[in-house]
Amino acid sequence: MRRRARFLIAIVAGLAVFTASRGAAQMGGPIKIGQLLPMTGNFASSLKMQRQGAELAVEEVNKAGGIKGRMLQLVREDDKSTDPGAVQAFQKLIEDKEMVAVIGSIRSTQILAMLPTINEAQIPVMIGGTNFSLTHQGSRWVFRHRPHDGFSAQVMVKFVVEELKKNKIAIVHTSDGFGNGGRDEVIKGLKARQMEPVVVKAINTGDKDYTAVVTAVKNSGADALVTYFTSTSDLAIFATQAKQQGLLPQMTWIGSPSITTTDAAKLAGDALVGTYGIGDYDPTGNPAAQAFQVAYKTKFNEDTDLFSAWTYDAVHNLATAMTRAPDLKPDSIRAAILAIKKRMGAENEYNFDERGDGLDHYYILRNEGGTWKVLKAVHVERY
Amino acid sequence: MASIGQILLAGLSLGSVYALTALGFVLIYRATNVVNFAQGEFLMLGAYFLFTFVEGAKLNYGVAAVIAIGMLGVFGLLFALGIYYPLRNRSFLPVIIATIGASIMFQNGALAIWGSSPERLRPVLEIGGSGGVTLGGVFFNYQYVIILAVTLVLMAVQYAFFEFTLLGKKTQAISQDKDMARLLGIPVTGMIALTFMYSTVLGGLAGMLVAPIFFLQHNMGSIPGLKAFSASIIGGFGDVRGAIVGGLALGVLESFGGAFISTVYKDAFAFLLVIIFLLVRPQGFFGEKVGEKA
Repeated sequence: MRRRARFLIAIVAGLAVFTASRGAAQMGGPIKIGQLLPMTGNFASSLKMQRQGAELAVEEVNKAGGIKGRMLQLVREDDKSTDPGAVQAFQKLIEDKEMVAVIGSIRSTQILAMLPTINEAQIPVMIGGTNFSLTHQGSRWVFRHRPHDGFSAQVMVKFVVEELKKNKIAIVHTSDGFGNGGRDEVIKGLKARQMEPVVVKAINTGDKDYTAVVTAVKNSGADALVTYFTSTSDLAIFATQAKQQGLLPQMTWIGSPSITTTDAAKLAGDALVGTYGIGDYDPTGNPAAQAFQVAYKTKFNEDTDLFSAWTYDAVHNLATAMTRAPDLKPDSIRAAILAIKKRMGAENEYNFDERGDGLDHYYILRNEGGTWKVLKAVHVERY
Repeated sequence: MASIGQILLAGLSLGSVYALTALGFVLIYRATNVVNFAQGEFLMLGAYFLFTFVEGAKLNYGVAAVIAIGMLGVFGLLFALGIYYPLRNRSFLPVIIATIGASIMFQNGALAIWGSSPERLRPVLEIGGSGGVTLGGVFFNYQYVIILAVTLVLMAVQYAFFEFTLLGKKTQAISQDKDMARLLGIPVTGMIALTFMYSTVLGGLAGMLVAPIFFLQHNMGSIPGLKAFSASIIGGFGDVRGAIVGGLALGVLESFGGAFISTVYKDAFAFLLVIIFLLVRPQGFFGEKVGEKA
């Protein structure tokens, strides 16, 4: 009995020290923000853009005088492109008691893996993963800076079925949290219109040969293809082979945002001409995006994309929240993030809801001769 | 029917890549009794070397390939001297671990040098802009055809080398008993270095051939490396014919398994086959039982 009491006291004391040290983050010195980045591994191709987006935003915030007289400082950690890697990196970041918030990741599976740790750590985490469930599991600490897949599937199905008048839909998706979630939402959207997909094919990240998938789609008699590819290189190889094997350009293809990235355009070349994509980000989409594009181009001499846009917005939303919050305690920052309404970011207009979702729009784009043109922006009802 | 042809062609081409990489495994194994897990990274390096000269320095494809092959040879020599040589008198385990370490180092080195964005290399042949020709409903990608041809030629050359030349017989002698070979006046160290150089070139060549199809990325060699390893187990570890047959079989199995059973589990078929072989016929398709080899 005595031993148990002592044990409990030790835990309470530990918690007290933990809480006190979190509070200490408010004293002088820079404000530390962690950023999870895929520095190595399969997703390393998005490293540079995600790093630079955040870097530019931090520079802008600091140039404007910082927050409460203190400068922002990014602390980067490698998530190794894997789920365990992300959890480890997150743990390493929050071991630093001065860390007030963390940015990352854009990969849904990694966030799913991190959620228990995030909930325990009680620290605001800005996420870019678009799997529907991330903000629908009751976590108070994740804040999404991209519209979720429920919206993207809704927009794609609506566009393909109602505007392009297609009714035999094939689905190809990466077999992971993001791709499986997208597939489920597309099927849900089709069911709502009394339809079923004619074929559903899953692929693994890193697959090099898509003959089987292309053949299956061809033989299914589909008149439109909806895809959820996680990796841009996978998408580009699929596109090239689909064109060589005669599936493209005849097939109407609308893809999740990876189809509109700069890397996809560079790798797949003209195989993507005539395809549709949805994108939560477009450099010409709104005035804030145009300003971001100019500033980014000046600093890095490169064009922006969704990878750079979401981290850019995440830092700015966080900075806005921290400026408005009375102090830098996690609960105060959380309340201030949820209070952000009608703030125009590079992505679109942020209106955070109680679940932590900031956005509810999608652009529909069409690849015309190699460049993506915005057809329209579609806002959907939140759920 | 056309789609069966398409799936078969894809399987054979992918299988050829595994076979080429597996040949590198086999050669080094024959010479040193060590499995070189960095073999897949040679594939990646070959691709990047060629890319640097073709897209970076804008050299003629042939010239670029020759320079890249030369660089691979030098790289193989450095690999032998730096990784294998210091550990040559230890058991096979430290050497294998060292090759795994080298593989991680090469991947991250490539990441640092060539960056994280995947790159595109143009195919060797670009006639009519499509990179291939459609015959009887089957699309023949020129690059796939070139891969198949190069693999066949190299297979023949290598077989002839081991069975009919003195140098090849010396290599076999080293693989069976280094001390005896040394007593017979065979320059063991030099021969092993030569083997490493040739294996690096082979791996790199596989990389150059697949670069236009796979795109270049620092981790592009790891899966083919693993598959090639499995291919050599299926074919019979240490056997040249085994590497070829194992590689092709694996490619075709994967391709058809993906088409008719499940695309997600197509990698699993490959490894399932390896497990079956390890249980039922551990010496592989062509391999001899260990007792018979001596």
